[in-house]
Amino acid sequence: MTARNQPRKGISLRAREALHGYGFIMIWVIGFLLFTLIPLLETLHYSFNQVVVSATSINLTFVDWANYSRALFTDPSFIELLIGYTIETMVAVPIVLIFAMIIALFLNLKFKLKGFFRVIFFLPIVITSGPVIRELTAQGAASAPGIANLPAVADFLAELPRAVRSPIEYLLTSFILILWFSGVQILIYLASLQKIDKSIYEAAAIDGASSWEIFWKIILPSLSTATMINAIYTIVTLSHFSENKVIQYIYNQTYNMQGGIGYASALAFIYFAVMIAMMGIIYLLLMQWTKRKSR
Amino acid sequence: MIKNRLRSYTGVRNRGINPSGFHVSQIKFYFILVPLSIVMLLPIIYIFSSAFKPPDELFAYPPRLLVINPTLKNFNDLLSRLSTSGIPVSRYLFNSILITVITVAASILISSAAAYALSKKRFKLKNTLFAINTVALMFVPIAVTIPRFLVIEKLGIFNTYWVHILPVLALPVGLFLLKQFIDGVPDEVIEAAQIDGASDLVIYWRIILPMIRPAIATIAILTFQAAWNNAEISTFYINNESLRTLAFYLSTLTSASTTANTVAGQGIAAAAALIMFLPNLIIFIFLQRHVMSTMSHSGMK
Repeated sequence: MTARNQPRKGISLRAREALHGYGFIMIWVIGFLLFTLIPLLETLHYSFNQVVVSATSINLTFVDWANYSRALFTDPSFIELLIGYTIETMVAVPIVLIFAMIIALFLNLKFKLKGFFRVIFFLPIVITSGPVIRELTAQGAASAPGIANLPAVADFLAELPRAVRSPIEYLLTSFILILWFSGVQILIYLASLQKIDKSIYEAAAIDGASSWEIFWKIILPSLSTATMINAIYTIVTLSHFSENKVIQYIYNQTYNMQGGIGYASALAFIYFAVMIAMMGIIYLLLMQWTKRKSR
Repeated sequence: MIKNRLRSYTGVRNRGINPSGFHVSQIKFYFILVPLSIVMLLPIIYIFSSAFKPPDELFAYPPRLLVINPTLKNFNDLLSRLSTSGIPVSRYLFNSILITVITVAASILISSAAAYALSKKRFKLKNTLFAINTVALMFVPIAVTIPRFLVIEKLGIFNTYWVHILPVLALPVGLFLLKQFIDGVPDEVIEAAQIDGASDLVIYWRIILPMIRPAIATIAILTFQAAWNNAEISTFYINNESLRTLAFYLSTLTSASTTANTVAGQGIAAAAALIMFLPNLIIFIFLQRHVMSTMSHSGMK
């Protein structure tokens, strides 16, 4: 009888909460370990080996950093693809973020047909994955070839140094494609716009703040978390996009006699490192930005 | 008064006399939104019209958006190919539907439960797990195809229905997005429920899930597409033709035919793309209401 009133032996309230937490996450952790983490570590292991797959087994020969050095120093096309990808992503991410933010601000206003427009701007999420985008890029419809080929524009581009030219060219040819990647981002911005307490706007308006000031001092700082999430999400979707050239190159190398799985694994890890680095840069920039805003 | 103040906070000032209905001052929104929304609609118009294009229009350069002489030839070609296949198409269709439904339902449950724990529970590994997940998010899925194959073989699920479902359940993207949305659910709501004696399961089921409905609908759309369009699992982890999916079947059809007859192949590919795309669009139309409606009054501050 007395035991009932006492906490169970050895289990404090905090431990019980932790236990419940683990309970909720357990299935996910098992799935993640089996199908994501273990294969990932195995891939890391492969990247230091020459991997030969035969019908019955997989033979590994340890080659140290040879796969990496080949990718970085001897492979003629990988580095070029990687640099191209990095430039494109660094151009695309800010555009997606700014575009998504502007559209979200618009869609957060009150006007007729708002619901209809929200649906339309959310629609790209059914386009960018799967057969539609493959079909579109295959037919060259995702780019706007007309603009970059106009004589005046082409002359102007030819004047520029290559480092400046390629991002601009990418921007001109793929602008529409970039816009299609902002469906989920608009949604995330809208959700966090709606979390802002309406009375803050009121207070600011009473204090005589203009709508411009309200945007910079209230709306923008409170969107900083959403911006980080969106940046990560954009990088991930752009980098895992099936028409991405780096992905296609890695995929081809996997089944290449000369390269093989070991080499492709090394390529994948270099790609991975580049993505993490970009993420880090964006994170640092945003941290700086939020710090300055809150001061 | 307050309402008018609220309306005037964004970039465009309305001088506090904004009517509740349509007003000339709103035209500027449409000037920006209408052209942009046409851009957003382009791909869908394109996918529909190219499925009905005759061969000469399919190969026209630059590609034309709208079809001039619509024809059903592509669909007829596709149908005639379907009738020559050894296994009835309904089999592939059944596989695809079954796999997609189970995958979407199970992955939402698993990811949202995990996201709830990561967001609202306190335990040691919490931050580490989320960090690992975010890093894993970055990793290219195609690079792990072969190691994943080894795991699948060890588990003995090679060549079964399980191989379609299990590997895609614990996807990092779903957890990542859901956790962000659950972070937005105020702790006070959960504390109030706890004081009323609600257990964790009740809180998860009756409070968290309804409150993040927009996020769940979004994840449902994304997982649906991932599962429905997945041809890779059928290629790599399935030997038995009768366990493969419609996406796989249509992709073999179009790629095999491109070598034999490029002109007909393109047309068939366009028709197949439309057929594969339609369910995505239908799911989107069904679920967008949940995404949009709850967002405006979800009880979040």
